[in-house]
Amino acid sequence: MPEPLPEEPHVSGGQRAPEGGAIAATGQDGTMDLATTEGETLEKGLGNADAGGPADKARSLWSDAWRDLRRNPVFIISALVILFLVVISLWPSLIASGNPLKCDLSKAQEGSQPGHPFGFDGQGCDVYTRTVYGARISISVGVCATLGVAILGSVLGGLAGFFGGISDSFLSRITDVFFAIPVVLGGLVLLSVVTSNSVWPVIGFMVLLGWPQISRIARGSVITAKQNDYVQAARALGASNSRMLLRHITPNAVAPVIVVATIALGTYIALEATLSYLGVGLKPPSVSWGIDISAASPYIRNAPHALLWPSGALAITVLAFIMLGDAVRDALDPKLR
Amino acid sequence: MLLEVRDLRVEFRTRDGIAKAVNGVEYAVDAGQTLAVLGESGSGKSVTAQAIMGILDMPPGRITGGEILFKGRDLLKLKEDERRKVRGAEMAMIFQDALSALNPVLTVGDQLGEMFVVHRGMSKKDARAKAVELMDRVRIPAAKERVRDYPHQFSGGMRQRIMIAMALALEPSLIIADEPTTALDVTVQAQVMDLLAELRRELDMGLILITHDLGVVADVADRIAVMYAGRIVESAPVHDIYKAPAHPYTRGLLDSIPRLDQKGQELYAIKGLPPNLTKIPPGCAFHPRCPMARDVCRTDVPPLYEVTPSDGTRVSACHFWRECLDDRVDRHVNG
Amino acid sequence: MTESTATSTVEPILEVSGLVKHFPLTQGVLFKKQVGAVKAVDGVDFTLGAGETLGIVGESGCGKSTVARMLVNLERPTAGTIKYKGEDITKLSGRALKAVRRNIQMVFQDPYTSLNPRMTVGDIIGEPYDIHPEVAPKGDRRRRVQELLDVVGLNPEYVNRYPHQFSGGQRQRIGIARGLALRPEIIVADEPVSALDVSVQAQVINLLERLQGEFGLSYVFIAHDLSIVRHISDRVGVMYLGRIVEIGRDAEIYDHPTHPYTQALLSAVPVPDPEAREHRERIILFGDVPSPTNIPSGCRFRTRCWKAREKCEREVPSLAVPAEFRHGFGPAAHDSACHFAEEKQVVPPEEPLEEPPDDHAGGAV
Repeated sequence: MPEPLPEEPHVSGGQRAPEGGAIAATGQDGTMDLATTEGETLEKGLGNADAGGPADKARSLWSDAWRDLRRNPVFIISALVILFLVVISLWPSLIASGNPLKCDLSKAQEGSQPGHPFGFDGQGCDVYTRTVYGARISISVGVCATLGVAILGSVLGGLAGFFGGISDSFLSRITDVFFAIPVVLGGLVLLSVVTSNSVWPVIGFMVLLGWPQISRIARGSVITAKQNDYVQAARALGASNSRMLLRHITPNAVAPVIVVATIALGTYIALEATLSYLGVGLKPPSVSWGIDISAASPYIRNAPHALLWPSGALAITVLAFIMLGDAVRDALDPKLR
Repeated sequence: MLLEVRDLRVEFRTRDGIAKAVNGVEYAVDAGQTLAVLGESGSGKSVTAQAIMGILDMPPGRITGGEILFKGRDLLKLKEDERRKVRGAEMAMIFQDALSALNPVLTVGDQLGEMFVVHRGMSKKDARAKAVELMDRVRIPAAKERVRDYPHQFSGGMRQRIMIAMALALEPSLIIADEPTTALDVTVQAQVMDLLAELRRELDMGLILITHDLGVVADVADRIAVMYAGRIVESAPVHDIYKAPAHPYTRGLLDSIPRLDQKGQELYAIKGLPPNLTKIPPGCAFHPRCPMARDVCRTDVPPLYEVTPSDGTRVSACHFWRECLDDRVDRHVNG
Repeated sequence: MTESTATSTVEPILEVSGLVKHFPLTQGVLFKKQVGAVKAVDGVDFTLGAGETLGIVGESGCGKSTVARMLVNLERPTAGTIKYKGEDITKLSGRALKAVRRNIQMVFQDPYTSLNPRMTVGDIIGEPYDIHPEVAPKGDRRRRVQELLDVVGLNPEYVNRYPHQFSGGQRQRIGIARGLALRPEIIVADEPVSALDVSVQAQVINLLERLQGEFGLSYVFIAHDLSIVRHISDRVGVMYLGRIVEIGRDAEIYDHPTHPYTQALLSAVPVPDPEAREHRERIILFGDVPSPTNIPSGCRFRTRCWKAREKCEREVPSLAVPAEFRHGFGPAAHDSACHFAEEKQVVPPEEPLEEPPDDHAGGAV
């Protein structure tokens, strides 16, 4: 019957001494030793009250990551940009007073003028207003499709990688099938039967075709993480599958998923444009960056501004998400702190 | 002297600052001689070898000083294309991990033969014959049949023999073996070490054997150079070192290995950890871990003192080598 | 004394018998067909006495790590039993398995992969308490973690640091602290020092020995380094190709080996003494270890044995005290799976050196 630790008061105290230099945590010599020899790798924490915090407060990866993020300018900037984009997609009238659908053909392709800082597009619509109003669809398509793909893909891929066996082989073959479907052709076929003009069928289509990509990556990184001894160590302690997955594998397998998902976000926004251009996505009364970009591309020589502004907005959005993803990934890696 | 390294210094740029990996290494090897370079991870033993071979990654590495005299020429002053001619033809290297050092998609015959095709301009057929000859020389059974096999079809010991064959191909005068037997089992280790020793005698080559294993060294080396924190701390003929080390680090290493013929009570352990190369302690780099350190060790970098008596040249970078030699110090003073 | 030496003389805490692990080799994309088996462990028996250290040595691929993984239930045996205090633990599951796991813990080889890089040291050492909450009340855990850090010689203030901030030796101490958290009775250590530098190895070995005394632990110590195994073990088993070929007390194995494989293994160990090489006979084995998918008939060592005769091809030698030593009481009378066992001294007896041999060890007060 193993007796609990506390009943052996300070096993260490005096008995440590014979170990001599080996452990050397006793007395002055000991502390000296630790300070000089370990200072090497620990220098960042030592004597830095701000970074170290009170030693008696337990910290975890997530609290450390959050502390780290709050002080990371990349995170702050990208988070502010994203916050701004979300706000204007919810309430576009906050910063744009016009109506994106009110167009005046006589002003087609005209440049910047008072009250219309971005000029007019080929249909004589105000580019500024359309860019602001376009954010709602583009961002909801991008964010929702990415979230859907990331969640579905990493859950399926992660479970397949963790449990292996038949379920894994089965899932791998299914992803192969999905990889074989050409995206645009698939969109033409699947979306042409949809009559509703909402973003959801488009998002659903993207999730349906997008998850295998993330699932493959998640599966691979889960398999890599699973082979580490620390997962075996947890198993030997009697940890449950969910504990191994959530505590040990997920934090170590999530980085590649974040990277690929944030890059994919931009392609989903662009894909929405392609589908709209082909007539199977959102139909004209809807306003999105994608629709405007494809509409403006024929006039790139005469009216580059009509292309520039919605593309610029798209680029800034994608960049903000990629930077956010990078910052989160780095914050979750203690080695980079 | 076949090879002489003089005051070699190498630095690496890292995230935590400049890591001084090699800080004035001096050693020499003659033809037909085996020099064992002994050290723990981070001692700079492999970096020195890479600098000699000219395969150091630069950047982040940088050679900041010193000379590498090979047959009288300073290799560091050669141009890259001249250097390339030396590499492989005049000096060759054997790595620890033979599996990753061999190309998995080429047969061993092709890989061995390639040396002759590239350097000697032989025909494919002649090169193949040469490959078989080499495999025979490193005592791979049924070389004629196995020349068409791929690396994964060989066992660890056999792969290491192929690596040795490859190093020998152009009959270099110097071979550097970096932990050649660490990845192998004891029974195979002995075979490979014997083979290396035999070939060295046969071909009258110089051999630099880089290792952390004091046991392996005792069996094959003529001289030993012990490295710590990028410096040679002791260099001596093999018998001298094992009889009476003249540096407390060497002594600590020798005392801390358990022995097959003894069942000791408690192992002697060197306290602390090897230093961080970005923050090497001032004075003698070993002083924070040294049981006999005194004030002078904390301030003055010890030069290489000549140690007497000795069968040959023997040096120690310890201010108190005499005491260490006599083992007059009670190492457990603070125990 | 005809009693088998596979059995410990002290009261056994762990009894392993007929342990087998075959990994199936399969082919096929979706539906897999078995085409063969890797016979990693192929019939292993031994016992571990309370408070004892059993060393298991062997070359890579001999199955010693698979044995370790079966002892801590990371791998289910294909056949055989592992009895912990009389209860077979190989068939357990659920709560009963979890309870047994508390008492048999493992220390892993590689301190770089055995600690989750994204958990703090406090979380790593405290995780056993999350999994077995009955061991320590929630409010008490942190104090226990700090105590454990202290016990293994690390600063208790380090709870909030991450593994990468420590050196290899320190990480191995963290791994040991995690293994100790549940106060197990048995620790299975799989090559615990082979990834460490020479000067740090000694520190960790000393720590393991001190903990054994302090906590009354029994160790199964698995390693390829014969010198380290001798240093720490009370009894030693030598494995070859999935089986124990010789087992006995350390002096019996090291000073009086009777199995040719043990003799070859011992003779190959490099000794850090250039003088010794003159009066040492080295047995160099030819060839390589056969593949565990295709084990030779009869004695599995015969393909590399210089003594092999016809009988070795026909009959599997059993692990028992060889007939010729059965009536003796000497150290040669221990289990050895060889038809033609004979005693051979490979490690030269200790000679008085110029300095008294206990000089170093005796220094420790």
